[in-house]
Amino acid sequence: MSIQTQLPALRATGRRRGTAQRGEARWTFLLIAVVLAILAVWEAVVRAGLVPEAFLPPPSKVLTAFLALLVEGEFWQAFAFSMGNVVVGLALAIVVGVVVGLAVGWSPVLRFTVAPFLWLLYSTPKVALAPVIILALGLGSESKIALTFLLAVFPILLNTMEGAVTVSPSLVRAARVFGVRGPALGWKVIFPATLPFSLAGIRRGAALGFTGEVLGEFLGGTGGLGHMLEQAAYQFEMDEALAMVVVMVIIANLTLSLIGLLQRKLAPWHDERTAAAS
Amino acid sequence: MSTLLASGPGLRQRGPGAWLAGLSTRGKAAVIAVEVLVMLALWQLVVGVLGWINPVFVPPPLAIATGFGELVSTGALTANAPISVQAWLTGFAIAVVTAIPVGLLMGTSLPVDRVTSPIAWTIYATPSIAYQPLAKAWFGFGIGPVVFLVTISAVFPILLNVAAGMRTTSASLIRAGQVYGANRFQLYRSIYLPSTTPFLFAGLRQAVVLATIGMTVAELAGSATGMGALIIKASNTYQTDQAYAAIGIVVIWSVGMTRVITLVERLVAPWTRKGHS
Repeated sequence: MSIQTQLPALRATGRRRGTAQRGEARWTFLLIAVVLAILAVWEAVVRAGLVPEAFLPPPSKVLTAFLALLVEGEFWQAFAFSMGNVVVGLALAIVVGVVVGLAVGWSPVLRFTVAPFLWLLYSTPKVALAPVIILALGLGSESKIALTFLLAVFPILLNTMEGAVTVSPSLVRAARVFGVRGPALGWKVIFPATLPFSLAGIRRGAALGFTGEVLGEFLGGTGGLGHMLEQAAYQFEMDEALAMVVVMVIIANLTLSLIGLLQRKLAPWHDERTAAAS
Repeated sequence: MSTLLASGPGLRQRGPGAWLAGLSTRGKAAVIAVEVLVMLALWQLVVGVLGWINPVFVPPPLAIATGFGELVSTGALTANAPISVQAWLTGFAIAVVTAIPVGLLMGTSLPVDRVTSPIAWTIYATPSIAYQPLAKAWFGFGIGPVVFLVTISAVFPILLNVAAGMRTTSASLIRAGQVYGANRFQLYRSIYLPSTTPFLFAGLRQAVVLATIGMTVAELAGSATGMGALIIKASNTYQTDQAYAAIGIVVIWSVGMTRVITLVERLVAPWTRKGHS
């Protein structure tokens, strides 16, 4: 049935794709042109001496500093340190967030007893806990992993919970009719139906976890990308500092598009735009 | 919070679940209030009386209350809170004043949208903490970097939500307006404005949370005054009861400002989902 209803739609998009693609290409060119123009103006303004170069180095200098970073061993060490902590913290947050989120979402009693506290913790700016965590766990990797976990876990948990709550009862009933029950019901019905929500939570959690790692590095210890960035800015090597910011922009955007790709691959039926205004 | 009251996918409702579901809204609030009290009492018992957890890291509720008293009596609160409030409000005002016109422009003009939104998304996707050292180098050690971080944290959710609201305005409503002879201004006033307003307020609510995170990060990582600096100072001298009290105040600020946004929405836009509830 679904094939027959989808076929005409497919043909329609196929016919339109040619013009749509040409339109998209035009916008991409416009975007590139505008970005290049902004960079050119920036370069010209600094070269002309309107803005002191020590304050805002021109893009050419930032590019040189960026390329210099890529061949520096120290940079890759810092990269491995930061990313290692983020990956460990985020992995813990995903496991705990999804498991607890599913449990709380599924059980009305748990939802009633635990969820208010989870909401309270969710809306707390947990970055404020960073000094206390560093006090408790020291300046090493442990405190950074803990911060990453703490910041990342709540969006994952609450999104998963919300997803589990909104699983359509008719899906559950249909599965029961076909004899699915117990853990299989969770695995085959609840989990897939919740997955898009969890992924949306993981997207937010990844960004917040990165914040936790960088904040941990700002506040203490000697390692990682955040520490390098702070040192560069502190010594007023603005070209290196801006290059580090570019590195972070690239990391953050790559991570988010990777998760976005997963979202489209694992849950292509879910349209985030419909839930955007809620 | 609406999920709390939803029935969920569990179909067989018996026992405590069914009892809870059958309660009135007021009854549910009472149960939650009792729970909070039980939780606080347990916390006090485990940390304060039995000492199972080191009270330096998680001070018991009564110690936090004492810490709050100390913050007030030593004048630390009156010295730091107004600075944070000033930085937050300044940064948020700059964000609102910039984001709404740009968002409207993005919603109106396709070329502007196609150029601005990829750039905005790219900056928005990066946690604003990455820009903090730059802000410190550019604006010095005063309130400047805090305002900058609040602004850059708050501006994008507002901007992108307003643009999305304009873009998703129902095409059939616009056509209906045109059929009835609405001019450009009337279209904006009676069709675009009402359907964009809920998006604006959703963006403002996100912005409140992000702005508070931005403020805290900026003050923690390089400011001599403000609530973040107070938290750092208290933690570094092992007065974590004061640190938790200060954190509590930041939480109350964040939740309170979110409530203010919702109240304003209810006042000026009673037709939206959040507005009439």
